[in-house]
Amino acid sequence: MRHIRTAALGAAMLALIVSACSLGGGGQASKGTIASQLVLAGPPECPERPFCLKGLTGTYGITFKEFKPTDPGGPITIEALKKGDAQVGLLFTSDPAIAVNGFVLLKDDKQLQLADNLVPVVRQAALDANPVIEDALNAVMAKLDQAALTDLNKQVTVDGKAVPEVAKAWVEAGGFSFSGGSGSVTVGSTNFYEQEILGEIFAQVLEQAGITVERKFQLGNREIVFPALESGEIDILAEYAATALEFVNAGAGEASTDPAATVVKFNEHLASRGLVALAFAAATDQNGFVVTKATADKYGLVSISDLAKPAP
Amino acid sequence: MDLLRGVATWFSDPGNWSGSNGVPWRIGEHVVLSALAVALAVAIALPAGLAIGHTGRGERIATAVAGLGRAVPSYALLILFVPLFGLGFSSALPALILLAIPPILVNTVAGIRAVEADGVEAGRGMGMTGVQVLARVELPAAMPAIVAGLRTSAVQVVATATLAALVAGGGLGRYIVDGFALQQDDRILAGAVLVAFLAIGTDRALTAAQRRFERRPGSIPIGAPGAPGAPSSPFAPPGPSAV
Repeated sequence: MRHIRTAALGAAMLALIVSACSLGGGGQASKGTIASQLVLAGPPECPERPFCLKGLTGTYGITFKEFKPTDPGGPITIEALKKGDAQVGLLFTSDPAIAVNGFVLLKDDKQLQLADNLVPVVRQAALDANPVIEDALNAVMAKLDQAALTDLNKQVTVDGKAVPEVAKAWVEAGGFSFSGGSGSVTVGSTNFYEQEILGEIFAQVLEQAGITVERKFQLGNREIVFPALESGEIDILAEYAATALEFVNAGAGEASTDPAATVVKFNEHLASRGLVALAFAAATDQNGFVVTKATADKYGLVSISDLAKPAP
Repeated sequence: MDLLRGVATWFSDPGNWSGSNGVPWRIGEHVVLSALAVALAVAIALPAGLAIGHTGRGERIATAVAGLGRAVPSYALLILFVPLFGLGFSSALPALILLAIPPILVNTVAGIRAVEADGVEAGRGMGMTGVQVLARVELPAAMPAIVAGLRTSAVQVVATATLAALVAGGGLGRYIVDGFALQQDDRILAGAVLVAFLAIGTDRALTAAQRRFERRPGSIPIGAPGAPGAPSSPFAPPGPSAV
């Protein structure tokens, strides 16, 4: 008798727990956001960083089902997306892997990321000698959108094409035609392939304009290359607005999510150094959240804020 | 000194002892992953080693394969496995199994081969079948060498299981990888200390097991490593300093 009662009580408890679990689970699935069904992959520091998970929660009100610590915009994050272990990944916005794998870069519609738009920095003296430099580089920047930059990176790092060849094709397709240049300038770059591609594009456009160009690429990191620009060893360098501003102001926190305001601030710091930042491009190289094509289609994702919408 | 104080503070913070990122949970993950890897490695390497040692066939190939296995870094295997098996333990486990196999395989083969021919012949003379000779004469005599291989494997696996954290796996490597990413030296060192203690503990436990086999009454000491005239084990068990 006692055994039967105990068994009945046990069964009742079990039924209660099972029904509670299924109710709880069901409720979550129907009421949750899209993000609550997805896994985010990013570098281990992501949960603590304002430009990563912390910002996604604070600015966008997004909470993911799970965060998986992988690598900073590297192969493990990419494989996790391809394998389906994660649906959202943090990559750099100009990473060719985005195009190669058909990932969809979600629009940062609430401007979480600082404006690391590409911007040419030129020595004022070179600009005074050849005013055509400004027109030529502005025209290049006007054509450099995100798709263009990502494709240039892909041709070099994925397809294995030579930088001068890739730059030549892009310059020819752009139909740039400037003239009236004279004398010579030196174009530099850090040892980052993206900057070398841009440096080569600058060089070819300026050569078309009649200027003799010396190339000093792969010089090292910003700590080496920027002083070379200030001392006149090089005259032109492709930079990233927010990061370069925080470099020249020693991390004063003046960079913002607005590229125009960031470039204005950048120029305030550059004037005393005999340098000037020209027009910035639409293309950026900053943190970007990507999803696979399948995930984007399934949930209709275009912007990061779409992740906060209720799940279908 | 500041760093040591930081590590002490880290260990005394109750927040680091609870939840799915707490020390007990992370140790549990680490132990489960390591134990599973070693157990599966034994399941593969022990029968293979016994067969090769007993028949004497394929010994060179086994040694070559084991040498190759030891030469390929676990980190490289781990990264290669992510596209195949996905993130976390599903990639870490096969990488650790491949790390654990060579010492067990080589020591098993060497242990069986080192059993003196007199003992084997006496067994055959008594009318034992090949399997009986293997089970009653060769295996007991080779047991200390096999356990020594197991010990080497287990210590290597416990130390290397930290790599799982690089591919979003759990375990004690989480503290080291996260600490590095967040530039928190105290967390890195705390993780390293925990891994070291776990590896030393594993080594001690298996050393005790190895001694028990060496002294077991009724076991045949012929050819046991350490016995006079016996060839030394190709895998000398590492001391704690090898961690």
